Amino acid sequence: MTQIPPKSLVLYADDDRDDLMLVRDSFLKYSSNVRLVTVHDGVEAMDFLRHLDPGDPLPCLIILDMNMPRLSGKDVLIALRRMEGYEDVPVILFTTSSMPSDKAFAQKHSAGYITKPLNARQMEFIIDQFIDHCTEEVRKQIRRKD
Amino acid sequence: MTMYEFKILADDEQIDVLYRQGVYVGKRLCNSTVMVLYQLDGFYVEISYRKYRHYISSIRCSEGTAILDPYLDQIQAELVVKKDN
Repeated sequence: MTQIPPKSLVLYADDDRDDLMLVRDSFLKYSSNVRLVTVHDGVEAMDFLRHLDPGDPLPCLIILDMNMPRLSGKDVLIALRRMEGYEDVPVILFTTSSMPSDKAFAQKHSAGYITKPLNARQMEFIIDQFIDHCTEEVRKQIRRKD
Repeated sequence: MTMYEFKILADDEQIDVLYRQGVYVGKRLCNSTVMVLYQLDGFYVEISYRKYRHYISSIRCSEGTAILDPYLDQIQAELVVKKDN
């Protein structure tokens, strides 16, 4: 019997409902291989990660909006890098900003930095950029055709 | 890039140039239409959305600073936040 590999977990935190919907829609093409969890701010993101069962696989990718209420994407990133097991988990800051200082911040904390798209067409390319940040093994798993 | 060079690009090319080189200035709501302003070299580009971040209904360019007026509150607020930090 062939064992079906578990879906890769991607966590996306953003307080903008339109952006959540846009990313959710874009991940639909990978829905057989990816489980996308969306939360609305940094506190919810940290709560979700802290309450993962010890046996659960860690997310293969964490996408953080930079400007969120309660806890910003930058603050979550700093907290993650200090959290056991999350030192090397791929993280992307996803933002409207194109400030060099923000890009430098992401780089300093070993995170990617992707500017939010202007329209749905650009989102199609960005979804692939998201996946490019995952490890090679995960990339293959996500892009495999069943 | 000059405003003229930008204006003669195809719509998709304009959007891609803005994505790569534009500096986000602010976002506002005008009669339930979301509008976003970018600075690109020496001019400004305002995008009006039919559906925010999905479909663009129009693109307007200006070399004058009057186009900044509806966004001044946001620009000031950001400066204040940066000062506080």
